[in-house]
Amino acid sequence: MSAGSSLPYRLRPNKAVDRELFLSLLMRLAPALSLEKYQYVGLGGPFLEDFRLVHARLGLKVMTCVEAEEQVHKRQQFNCPIASIECIHRTLEDYLDGHEFKVPAIIWFDYTEPKGVTTQIERFARTVGSVPLGSVLRVTLNANPSSLGKPDPSELSVEIDGEESSDRAVKPTIQEWRLARFKERLGALFPSGLTAEGMSFKTYGPSLLRALKLVVEKEMLSFRDRRVVWALGTHYADGQAMVTATLVVCAAPDTSIEGLVKEWEFYSTPDLPHRLDLPALSTLERLTMESHEDPREKMPFDLPKSDMGEDPFSVFKKFYRIYPHFSRVEL
Amino acid sequence: MSLQTQDTAIAVPTKRFFVSMLTRDITLADAILDLLDNCLDGALRLANGSDVDYSQHFVNIKLAADHFSIEDNCGGIPREVAINYAFKMGREPDDDRDSDTETIGMYGVGMKRAIFKMGREALVRTRNADDTFEVPITSAWLEAKGWDPLPINEPTEAGEKFAEPGTVITVRNLYEGVSRHFANEAFENEVRTAISEHFTMFLQWGLKVDLNGKPVKPVLVEVLVSERDDGPAPFVFQKTIDDVLVSITVGLNTGRGLGDDEEEDSGFERDRSSATAGWTVLCNDRAVIVGDKSRLTGWGDGIPLYHPQFAIITGIIEFRSKLADKLPVTTTKRALDTSSNVWLESLVKMKEGMRVWISYTNQWKNHPRADQTNFWEDARPLPLRGAIAAVTSRDATKKTDDYVEFNPQKAKVLPEPPGKTPSSRRIVFSRPVEEIRLVSKMLFDIDDQRPGIVGEKCFELTLTKAKKQDG
Repeated sequence: MSAGSSLPYRLRPNKAVDRELFLSLLMRLAPALSLEKYQYVGLGGPFLEDFRLVHARLGLKVMTCVEAEEQVHKRQQFNCPIASIECIHRTLEDYLDGHEFKVPAIIWFDYTEPKGVTTQIERFARTVGSVPLGSVLRVTLNANPSSLGKPDPSELSVEIDGEESSDRAVKPTIQEWRLARFKERLGALFPSGLTAEGMSFKTYGPSLLRALKLVVEKEMLSFRDRRVVWALGTHYADGQAMVTATLVVCAAPDTSIEGLVKEWEFYSTPDLPHRLDLPALSTLERLTMESHEDPREKMPFDLPKSDMGEDPFSVFKKFYRIYPHFSRVEL
Repeated sequence: MSLQTQDTAIAVPTKRFFVSMLTRDITLADAILDLLDNCLDGALRLANGSDVDYSQHFVNIKLAADHFSIEDNCGGIPREVAINYAFKMGREPDDDRDSDTETIGMYGVGMKRAIFKMGREALVRTRNADDTFEVPITSAWLEAKGWDPLPINEPTEAGEKFAEPGTVITVRNLYEGVSRHFANEAFENEVRTAISEHFTMFLQWGLKVDLNGKPVKPVLVEVLVSERDDGPAPFVFQKTIDDVLVSITVGLNTGRGLGDDEEEDSGFERDRSSATAGWTVLCNDRAVIVGDKSRLTGWGDGIPLYHPQFAIITGIIEFRSKLADKLPVTTTKRALDTSSNVWLESLVKMKEGMRVWISYTNQWKNHPRADQTNFWEDARPLPLRGAIAAVTSRDATKKTDDYVEFNPQKAKVLPEPPGKTPSSRRIVFSRPVEEIRLVSKMLFDIDDQRPGIVGEKCFELTLTKAKKQDG
């Protein structure tokens, strides 16, 4: 767990929406798959927030929280909100290697570290082939393109809308430089045809999801008993850009889950992830936007666009039902 | 002594042998590349000895769960060739169609093998000049014992005719495994990568290849060449051996190599080099092998085994000949015939070129990357021919009637690290991240300084202390 991920959810509204989407997917799948009998495996963070929610909404009893850092692990034991959660001091990878699943699982690979992204993708793909049928797997990856490295500015050239710096022929642009690093990191997993355009703050997330999808699909060629149904893809930034992908491992002949997932209003795939880029709003603004078909008429000013460049009104309209509302409570 | 009897022993190949044995020797992706090879041979024949303008040609490939198709405008199959050769299983000695063009087909199995690899029903429809006809291959024909000739039909509907000369091959009734692959995006990605690598030269010359509606872009295999006459340049060698023109270059690619340990994936040392590091082998413009790092291309054979330290080395070798059977390739055209003389003789020079750069990376191993950057500042990446042309114009290049050779080590154009024998040694150790954070906070007032820097500062502190005690 990195230091950044212990930021409270109230400072990360997009992450909160992302988590709500995941819970909403699980709720949709719950009756068909009997999710209450599943084992939930996640990383939890110091407060085990997602464990509390998963238990509350789905009634899962077998829950395993894995943590590599000793102090955080001890803190988890202290904070543990439900007695049936088993806290384990180990890396997620070591835990999975040493564990035999007796029931299908919901596993959240909540990777926040940008280092080792290839290993993370490979690990996720490998797990798709080894979990019991019916399992739900979810991965979060750091989608910050500057995590590919920061070159010395003198090594770079610039090109914008056809205008270019004089050293353009001999030096790469930042996107080209990143593309070369991305290629180095992914090796054989690199999606063919990916160009430098896929290496900006806005596009790197989808590029990463593309690589993830291809690696999983490749893995699936080796299995005839199962197939994957992609259910949810998201791209958001609360400071750090992140992407997530969630899939259900179905029995090869089973198409019922696919139908159920595709009819879900938030169905999305790694090819076209939801861009969660919700505006920070006052309570009045929020209520106005919720209660009016065209709130722009009532709000004669522009809401600022974020780094992702989405229109705040349309994003809000899409996700208003699960938009979090945080307020101060004195204990 | 023996007496001849009336009996004879049947010695014809069975269809089953052809269909199930030969198709095992080739991967599905290679079978598709074989068909693409045929399109290009068609374009070459169409040009009839003059230079081909590849930008006039297209190949559209479609992979789907229920069918495969490949469509081109590369001239089509002449009826005469269809009747006598194109559908024969193997090539006859009297088939001298390509004696003066640099085609790559030589065994006459590519198209048939590819079709049989994929499914049980196929249709080859072609237009050559103004003659349009089609040859169906049915599952009934495949299952029948004999080698009955295949029918040649003429389409009657206007929609079945082509706007320009070319060929469409459609395969249906796909085998279960093939269908699964064709529907799989990762397989499509694999085929796309293979096309972008193997046909890189043609794509660079303007050939348009679409795979499932999306154009394939070429992968560039290039080495760095300095513009200055005394600037760093790749090893170059060119010579005609057994009717084959061999061109070799070995140099640095634009990769970074292993300069930055911080970004390494945890767990094991991964090869992070680009696909183009290692050896790329071209035969008559087809890349037979791209980025090989194995014993095949000399690694570990009198020189060290490939190691990530060498990820910045790229070698390109090209064989050109109008006599396709002189080229050191196997029937799949995606593998090398390593016992041929031309290959063995070339391998010596390939290794000579590699040694230059292996010793270069050894020399620079313990020096920061930035130290060598200035030497390469004016270097630009060039493909094989560009590199050879640029290096050949230098005075230090040996040019005889027989061969051209440039060895950058001997020509003394390679930068040397300052203080030639560095005594630096690497110190590598791991500590839990919480501890690193703690130390980072103490030293730098932030808790996420790079572990390498934290470690180095700790060493410096201790060193100062040690020096004090010593003095």
